[in-house]
Amino acid sequence: MRRVPAVVLFAIGALTCVGLDLAYDGLVSWDRGSKFWLHILVVCAINVLGATSLNVVNGMAGQFSIGHAGFVGIGAYLGGAIVSNLALALKIPVAALKDNLSLGQSFLLLPVALVVVGLVCAAIGFVVGLPSLRLRGDYLAIVTLGFSEIVRLTVLGISADSATNPLTRAIASLGGSLGYRGPKVGEDYLGVPSVAGPFWTVGIAALAVFLALRLKRSGFGRALRAVREDEIAAAAVGVDPAKYKVTAFVLAAAGAGVAGALLAVQRDGPGIVGPANMKFDKSFEVITMVILGGSGSVSGAAIGAVLYTVIFYASEEALHQLAQAVPAFGSVDAAALRMTLFATALIVVMLVRTQGLFGERELFEKKADDGTPKPPSPSSDDATGTAKEALAS
Amino acid sequence: MRTRHPHRAPPDVRFSEPGSPLLAVENLEVRYGGIRALKGISLHVCRGEVVALIGSNGAGKTTTLRTLVRLVQPAAGTLRYAGEELTTIGTEQVIERGVSLVPEGRAIFPNLTVRENLELGAFLHRDKTTIAESLHDVEQLFPRLGERMAQEGGTLSGGEQQMLAIGRAMMGRPSLLLLDEPSLGIAPKLARQIFEAIRAIAAAGVTVLVVEQNTRLALEVASRGYVLRTGEIAREGSSKELLADPMVREAYLGA
Repeated sequence: MRRVPAVVLFAIGALTCVGLDLAYDGLVSWDRGSKFWLHILVVCAINVLGATSLNVVNGMAGQFSIGHAGFVGIGAYLGGAIVSNLALALKIPVAALKDNLSLGQSFLLLPVALVVVGLVCAAIGFVVGLPSLRLRGDYLAIVTLGFSEIVRLTVLGISADSATNPLTRAIASLGGSLGYRGPKVGEDYLGVPSVAGPFWTVGIAALAVFLALRLKRSGFGRALRAVREDEIAAAAVGVDPAKYKVTAFVLAAAGAGVAGALLAVQRDGPGIVGPANMKFDKSFEVITMVILGGSGSVSGAAIGAVLYTVIFYASEEALHQLAQAVPAFGSVDAAALRMTLFATALIVVMLVRTQGLFGERELFEKKADDGTPKPPSPSSDDATGTAKEALAS
Repeated sequence: MRTRHPHRAPPDVRFSEPGSPLLAVENLEVRYGGIRALKGISLHVCRGEVVALIGSNGAGKTTTLRTLVRLVQPAAGTLRYAGEELTTIGTEQVIERGVSLVPEGRAIFPNLTVRENLELGAFLHRDKTTIAESLHDVEQLFPRLGERMAQEGGTLSGGEQQMLAIGRAMMGRPSLLLLDEPSLGIAPKLARQIFEAIRAIAAAGVTVLVVEQNTRLALEVASRGYVLRTGEIAREGSSKELLADPMVREAYLGA
C-alpha cells in the first residue's frame, strides 16, 4: 500500500471538518432534535482530545497523572475568558454572541485563544511537572491531585467581596461557585460564546490523534516507552528520564488545556464555565477512558473516549426514558449510577483484560510475537559460536 | 567492528596505543546520605583490557559503575576517560563518548520487542547505516536474539534477556563496556556463554570493566582484577595473582 502524503490527508481532513460543520448547522435548522446527537459528537471529540493527551503521560511515559481535570479547567476558564473578551474587542454584536457564531467568525476568535491556552497550560505543566517528575515513583500522582484541587478551590474560594488586589480581583471575576459567564455587558453577563463546532472539535481531535500516533512511532515515543519500562536502563542508553517525563507531561497539559477551551466555547454550549470541570471525578473520567481503551495505545484512548461518552449519554437517555415509563426511576441519581457502571467496567477490565481493550497496540496493528511456539533453533546450544568470526571481520 | 560511531571524535592520540589507560579513577568517594558507599577508591582500565571488579553484596560495585556513567554523583575524586574528566558532564555525554553500561538485573524493556530494545541501544546515534550494521553485528554475536527480533523482551529466558541487555549496550558501539553482574540469576551454562561473548567483544577491541560476584568466572576472562570490600579496594592484581591469593580464595572462591 502506498503511503498517502500528509498534505493530502490534511486537506481531506480539513474539508471533511468544514463539511461536518456546515452539516451541523443545516441539520439543526432542519430538525432541532438533532442537536442532542450533534452535541454528543462534539463532546466525543473533546474527550478524544483529553484522553489522547493524558495517554501521552499516563500510557506512553507510564507516569500516573490524576490531575488532568486541573489543566482542562484552566483551559476552560482561560479559553472562555479570551474568546468572550476578544469577541467584544472585535465588536461582534452582543446579540450575535448570544447565538452560535458562524465558522467564519470562529476563525477570528479560536486560533488565538487555543494557542494562548495551549502555551499557558504547557508552561503551568512545566512548573508542576519539573519538581515532581525528577523524583521517581508516585509523587506525580499526589502532586497532580493536589494541583487540580488547589486550582479548583482557589477559583471557588475567592469572591468579589474578598478580592483586594488585582490578582484576587481577576480570580473573583471568574465567578466562584456560580461559574464564569463572560464579562458584564450592561446589567447582564455576556455568557461564554458558542464558537467551536465540529470543524474545531473533531478537527483538533483528529489532529491530536494523528500527532500522538506520529509521536509514539518516533524516537521520542520510543524513549518515553523506555522510561516507562525501566528508568535506569533508559538512562543507560542515553535517554534522560526526567527530560522525557517532563516533556510528556507538558504536552499532556497543553492538550488538556485546549480540550478545556473547546469544552467552554463549544457550539450550543452551556455559556458558562463552572469549577466542577476541575473536580476529581473529571480526572477519573479521563483515566477511565485511557485504561478502558488500553494505556499506551493512541487509538485505544480515542476509542475509550468515544465509548465512554456514548455510554455516558446513552445511560442518561435510557434512565430518562425509564423514568417516564416507571415513575419510581425518576429518583435515581444518574451520576451515581454512571459512577457505579464505570467502576464495575474498570473492575471487569482489570480482571479479564488488564491491558485494556487494545493493550499498547493500535487499531489494525499486528500483534507482537509472543514467542511460545518456536521450532528449535539450530544454533540454540551455541549462542556465541559465530561471535568471534563475526567480530573479527 | 566495521563501522565507527559517526559522531564520536577520534580518540586522543596520547591514549590511542593499546596498554595506555582508557579509564582512570582516582580517590572516588560516593555518599548516600550519611553512608560512605565508596571510600576513595582508585582503579584504572587500559585500552583493550578486560578488568574484573569483584566483591560481595554491598561492597560498592554497582555504585562504582553507576558513578562512571554519571547516574550517581560522586562526593569527591576524579574520573578520567580517554583523557577527559567525566565528573563535569552528564550521562548522555558520557554515553556519547563511547561508554555503555549493562545495568544490573537484566534491565531490559520487557514490553518492547527485541528489535526495539536493540534500536534503543543506538538511541544517541543518528546514522541509519551505522545502526543497521550494529544490529547485524549484535545478531552475529547472539544469533538467538536474531531469531527473536519480533518477540517482546519480557518473554525471553533469563539468559536471553542478559544477551539482549549486552546486545543493547553494544548497539551504542562503545569503546568501554561496563557490565554489572552479567551472570546474576542465570544458569551456569548460560553464564559461561555470556562470558564467552564478553571475551569475543574484548577480542574485537572493546575495553571491558566487569563487576561480578562469580569471582572464578570473572577472573577467567579478565586479565586483571580489583577486590572491592565495604567501599575500599582490598586487593588488586593480575587474575592469576588474585586466584592464588589466600584472602580471595577464602572469601570469594570458597576454597
